Amino acid sequence: MPIMQGADLHGMQSGGLLSAHRSPWRLTALIAVSLLVVCAGGMVQLGAGSYDMSWRQAWEALVDPHLWEHPSRILRLLVGEGMADRLGCERCDTLPTSTLIVWTVRMPRVLVAILVGINLAYSGSILQAVTRNEMADPYLLGVSSGSGLAIAVVFMFLPGLGVHLPLLAMVGGLTAFAVVYAIAWSRGTSPVRLVLAGVIVGAIARSVETAMHYLAQDSSALRDATAWTSGSLIGARWEHVLMVLPWTSVSVIVALCGARYLDILLLGDATAKSLGMSIERVRFLLAATAVLSAASAVAAAGMIGFVGLIVPHMVRGLVGSPHRGLLLGCLVAGPALLIGADAASRLILNPLQLPVGLVTGAIGGAFFLILMRRKRDFGRL
Amino acid sequence: MIQKRLHANRVLGGVDLTVRYRPERPPVLDGQTIDVPIGRVTMLIGPNGSGKSTLLKTLSRQIAAERGVVILDGRDIATLSAREVALSLGILFQENQAPHDLTVEELVCHGRYPHRRLFDPLTAEDRFAVEQALTLCGAGPLRDRPISQISSGQKQLAWIAMLLAQSPHYLFLDEPTTYLDLPHQFDVMNLVRHLNRELGCTIVITMHDLNLAARFGDHIVALHQGRIVAAGAPEEVLTTATLRTVFDIESRLFRDEQTGSLHCVPINRIPAAGGRPR
Repeated sequence: MPIMQGADLHGMQSGGLLSAHRSPWRLTALIAVSLLVVCAGGMVQLGAGSYDMSWRQAWEALVDPHLWEHPSRILRLLVGEGMADRLGCERCDTLPTSTLIVWTVRMPRVLVAILVGINLAYSGSILQAVTRNEMADPYLLGVSSGSGLAIAVVFMFLPGLGVHLPLLAMVGGLTAFAVVYAIAWSRGTSPVRLVLAGVIVGAIARSVETAMHYLAQDSSALRDATAWTSGSLIGARWEHVLMVLPWTSVSVIVALCGARYLDILLLGDATAKSLGMSIERVRFLLAATAVLSAASAVAAAGMIGFVGLIVPHMVRGLVGSPHRGLLLGCLVAGPALLIGADAASRLILNPLQLPVGLVTGAIGGAFFLILMRRKRDFGRL
Repeated sequence: MIQKRLHANRVLGGVDLTVRYRPERPPVLDGQTIDVPIGRVTMLIGPNGSGKSTLLKTLSRQIAAERGVVILDGRDIATLSAREVALSLGILFQENQAPHDLTVEELVCHGRYPHRRLFDPLTAEDRFAVEQALTLCGAGPLRDRPISQISSGQKQLAWIAMLLAQSPHYLFLDEPTTYLDLPHQFDVMNLVRHLNRELGCTIVITMHDLNLAARFGDHIVALHQGRIVAAGAPEEVLTTATLRTVFDIESRLFRDEQTGSLHCVPINRIPAAGGRPR
């Protein structure tokens, strides 16, 4: 992941994309457009696939009265067969195929895209403020290293634990974050120390991971691990939705409540402290929230790059740096980007599907290229 | 709310303060004791590295002293929470940073931070304090301007407005005039005088300009190599002998008849003993 020191939030010139005045209509327009993209992309996802159906069929499947009039059938789809039998939910055998496909395969994918989009955008926004670095992304503080390593270990040595892979990836990411924080800590910490510690842990973890790939005998394990690390929504199920949802809720609530704290952090440690902020506590809590959010996104969809980096960028350009507007914008722009990219990843080589991480990478690269060409002082030291 | 400060029970001072940035180096502040006069403007003067900024930061709890205590209103400042400290003292740093598109008004609103709890919206009282701070600093017309697009003098006034919105009794200003042109130097210093005379704020300032220090300071503290060499009224501290010790300069001092304040004309540097530059 790109980490460019010095391209901090204060180096960005306002003007062009950025507006000095906070006009509420910009946020409103952003929300409207994003919701439109989410709906359109969502409908594409519901309709497209090996079992082809028209938009109309997809819509009918979505609002199928066989389900809506029997809430316990919906519950069965959500919690899975085993649990549903124990709860005594109605069986779903009589449902039309199109309804089953939409409800068991395609809708979870859309929902995971929404939740992961929010998680990555929030995680990126928070970490950009915490490290006061506009190039910060959700994986900055060790999540990618820890999860990547955990994934490699499971595929190479402990294939029996494969079913617990999401959880293990998340634990790996959080462990790496703890190590990063411990390395950065010396009677308190600072944005630069955190970023450097993240780089150190990342470098070491990546070499270990590469060494393991290199030594691996089983090339299919290698392939599976690569698929995970490139980030994909293929195979998203209700269990993934239910796994990410709590962490999405936590990070959205914490971030929105902490919007003012994030604003104050941008004034620098000394000023934040002089205004009475317990800076180490606030920084740790916010960073931990961001990392939990990113790690749970990795657990559900692998490492999808660039979303957490460019969404806060785009939204900040439209509504400005104060975090209330920024975070509200990210709440819809994150899902919009990820759903848009996922729809594209399905349509580009139809019927072949690309991992969505590749598409977001390409979009991210193009976005930064445009930004760099349009703004002379972009990334100025 | 910003109102005339009451001076009862106000105390600010440091006893036996020692501060060291690196354990192997000599202390930057060496066992110094200082009593800040309440309701006055105190100027800390001294050459670079004399410890004046360190003293200011230690008194305002930005740095913890290795030895000694700072007393704020009868309590050891180290035992207070960051918020408690922020409610009674505000600090202007030499260098400030803010996002480019942050407006002056948004910045000043951040001054209300210590008064607000997690879910508190900006109350009428907060709004009132912000408006008053903007008015006092003459920053009202700038309120919608992004902080990156105003002059450095206006920026300084905007940051002081943020401190005022904090409504502290004590104000600490670290070299507030250093990078400013003459008119803005006076804007800042007149504001300081107004805050002191009309609102009763106790103000501590580090300053390089001896003439501004003499004109706007009630109490001057001269530091040299981590020690307080002289403290008192301008005419007691600003003497050719003290300036020789503190700054190694030869100077002439006279009282300006119109303003009645002391002026210092530096003449030359005293050659260091042994002829080698310090």
